[in-house]
Amino acid sequence: MIDTRRPLIELKRLHRFFGETRAVDDISFEVYAGEVFGYIGPNGAGKTTSMRILATLDEPTYGDAFVDGFSVVDDPDRVRRRLGFMPDYFGTYENVNVEEYLDFFARSYGLRGNERLRSIDYVMDFTGLDVLASKPVNGLSKGMKQRLCLGRTMVHDPAVLILDEPASGLDPRARIELREMISKLAQTGKAVLISSHILTELAEVCDKIAIIETGRLLAVGTVDEISARSEAVSRVRLRTLGASQPLLDWLAARSDVTDIIVDGSLVTLNHDGGPQQQAELLKQIVEAGIEIVEFASKTKSLEDVFLHVTEGRVQ
Amino acid sequence: MTSALDTSASQTDSQGLAAGVWQRIQDWLLSLVDRTNPILVKETRQALKSRQFVLTFLVTLLACWIASFAVVGIAGMDVFYVASGDRMLFVYFAILAFPLLLIVPYSAFRSLATEQEENTFDLLSITSLTSRQIVSGKLGSAVVQILVYLSAVSPCVAFSFLLRGVEVLTIVLLLSFYVLTSLGLSMLALMAGTLARVRYTQALMSVLLVIGLAIVFFASFPVTEEFIRDGYTSFRDSDFWIGCAATMTFYVTTFLLVHAATSAQIAFPSENRSTPLRRLMVLQQACFLGWVAVIPILEPSPQVLPIVVTIAVIMGGLYWYTIGTILTSEWPHLSRRVQRSLPQSTAGRVLLTWFNPGPGTGFMFAIANLTMIGSLGLAILAWVGAGTFKGAGVEQAVYLIVLGWSYVVIFLGVGRILIALMRRVLFVSMAAGFLLHAILLLLCCGVPQIIFLMTSSFSAGSEYSLLQITNPVWTLFRLMESGVFSVDGHILIIVLPAAALVVMLINLRSVAAELQYQRRSLPVRVAEDEAELHPLPIPGPANPWESPEEK
Repeated sequence: MIDTRRPLIELKRLHRFFGETRAVDDISFEVYAGEVFGYIGPNGAGKTTSMRILATLDEPTYGDAFVDGFSVVDDPDRVRRRLGFMPDYFGTYENVNVEEYLDFFARSYGLRGNERLRSIDYVMDFTGLDVLASKPVNGLSKGMKQRLCLGRTMVHDPAVLILDEPASGLDPRARIELREMISKLAQTGKAVLISSHILTELAEVCDKIAIIETGRLLAVGTVDEISARSEAVSRVRLRTLGASQPLLDWLAARSDVTDIIVDGSLVTLNHDGGPQQQAELLKQIVEAGIEIVEFASKTKSLEDVFLHVTEGRVQ
Repeated sequence: MTSALDTSASQTDSQGLAAGVWQRIQDWLLSLVDRTNPILVKETRQALKSRQFVLTFLVTLLACWIASFAVVGIAGMDVFYVASGDRMLFVYFAILAFPLLLIVPYSAFRSLATEQEENTFDLLSITSLTSRQIVSGKLGSAVVQILVYLSAVSPCVAFSFLLRGVEVLTIVLLLSFYVLTSLGLSMLALMAGTLARVRYTQALMSVLLVIGLAIVFFASFPVTEEFIRDGYTSFRDSDFWIGCAATMTFYVTTFLLVHAATSAQIAFPSENRSTPLRRLMVLQQACFLGWVAVIPILEPSPQVLPIVVTIAVIMGGLYWYTIGTILTSEWPHLSRRVQRSLPQSTAGRVLLTWFNPGPGTGFMFAIANLTMIGSLGLAILAWVGAGTFKGAGVEQAVYLIVLGWSYVVIFLGVGRILIALMRRVLFVSMAAGFLLHAILLLLCCGVPQIIFLMTSSFSAGSEYSLLQITNPVWTLFRLMESGVFSVDGHILIIVLPAAALVVMLINLRSVAAELQYQRRSLPVRVAEDEAELHPLPIPGPANPWESPEEK
């Protein structure tokens, strides 16, 4: 029974040192049921190390991580029942076909009889592998292998999915399909922790993100929250119904507006404030009798946020 | 008409009954497969499709056929008059030795090594399978292969019996020997597979394993030949069967111990990996003590008994010293998971604390077991010497037991202290701890030896001086060879036990620290999960008039 008030994934002051190298240095965050949590960072940032700790494949030097309330250090057996881990490598067997591969992992997770058969059918249907059931695993394309690995990860219906670079090496179509599958999984109440280099992929699928660099957590929250926290100034675009001069005169008196660029009736400016302040600005312009036909605040992309938060130190 | 209908109905009934029986058998088989170890199922499927397995099976089969035709062809008409079953049997076992003693164990090793190479071991280890199930699955796969190879050779073995000159018991014992050897080698190969985690250690292990297997393979030929030729003469000798029973006891307990050690290698770090091993060590010790205890009944001669007891005690001493070097290298801190299952009651804490992981408890555990063997040896010798220790060789044996015990206590205790001191400044793994013990022993043997060689002439090379007191090998060897006075036994019997007691007292401090651990209660979340997984049975009505709802 999953308690939705309790985070399904919880990292508490997690540290992992390899000699002098601090691969993971004091990382804490939480992921709740139904959330897709993006884990972003450059190569060697510590994403895979922390994911391996969560998957009970490694031990933290200090701190602890919990899956559905169970410590990965003290109760790895209970964690494993609730967790599906998809590493950034395939891990396939010789002389085994797709169905046998899934059957082996279903058995290994303790599924018996009809429950196992149902689970394999569901996974093959979900991942679109049903037509390849008797095909040898080693003969599958990269995209199909990736699907198979996702299938293996979810064959025992875990509450938590940890996906390390699931989209790497996939063509655009396969990426879109993978993204859809992940969204569907989150809708069923699973907590999904996903790392990727392809930030546009994450931006579309993630509810929250964590940015990590050289083992340290730089920011956690939604893209908007991090964006707002990292930079208070927003770029705002306005289009007036008539001439833009009255608007320019009105704006000239304001101290929270800078870098005004005029292009006919289109005015672009930097506004020192968040969404609340922008709404107030629009209200005041309209109250001043200036007719506005377009008001848009440029949303920062995940790339913008990532580059800003990591201060361009990306390797 | 009625009769035809009756016949038809009874046929339908019997067909339905047969179908029902088959259905039940099928269901039972399906449920059996369902409960079979997943690794066994997967590896059997893989093996049936693998080229290597098919090739080896066909080569074995072909070799048997060719050998059969060749021998019968060469013998010609003599096959009817001359008993040639023994020669045929040797040829068949030589063929069988190839898959059983080489292919199967090496496949077991490769099976684990490939998991590491192909990155599937991580995926396997995060499933619900326990480390013991993983090892058993791999071993089960080896058993299936053994059975398949046996099925290829068994008709030929039966044929050799028809050719006369060989007893059924010889065939059965040889088959058992080959199967058990193959199984034992596979177990050792799996252990080697768990020790080799990175590529270069895998390559090294692979080479060592192949050399070892080749030695066993070639050694099996003279053993088989000798047994086929003269083995039957031993069947009426009770000593032969006692020897078989003793060997089986050793085989089974060692097999279980290696299985547990292999499982421990791949278990997660917070798991209690030491206690199951210590339990099996005690089982092996109990079997060993049992055999030592029956020595006076089997071999009551006062001349031979001290020698047999001495050999048994030396074996016990070597065993517990080796085990002790590993146990005293264990990490001194207990994980929170281990602390959850510590003994709680007073009796439990007194008797079972020594099974807890830790170098201090490990030291005491090894010493306690060694003391048990020594005490039993002394008791037997006392019985032989009628309490006076005056029997032939009895005095030497008593000195050997006391001095041997002291040496083991001193070396294990000093090694443990050194490891503890080194751990204050750097990380000392179990392997490094074991190595430290080995270096300590080598230094204590080698340094006095070098000093002796540098200061003495070779003509006086056999003389013993107290300089060699730190050299247990020389001291105990001289004691056995030349008697108590040749090694200043009257001095050693005071100095060494006293030193052992001092070392033991120094070690008691850290042992006491390990005994401070108390049982930790289950975290709330774990207790909730336990209640969900294993709910307590709802109590039934206390009397026939009480309904379950009232309860």
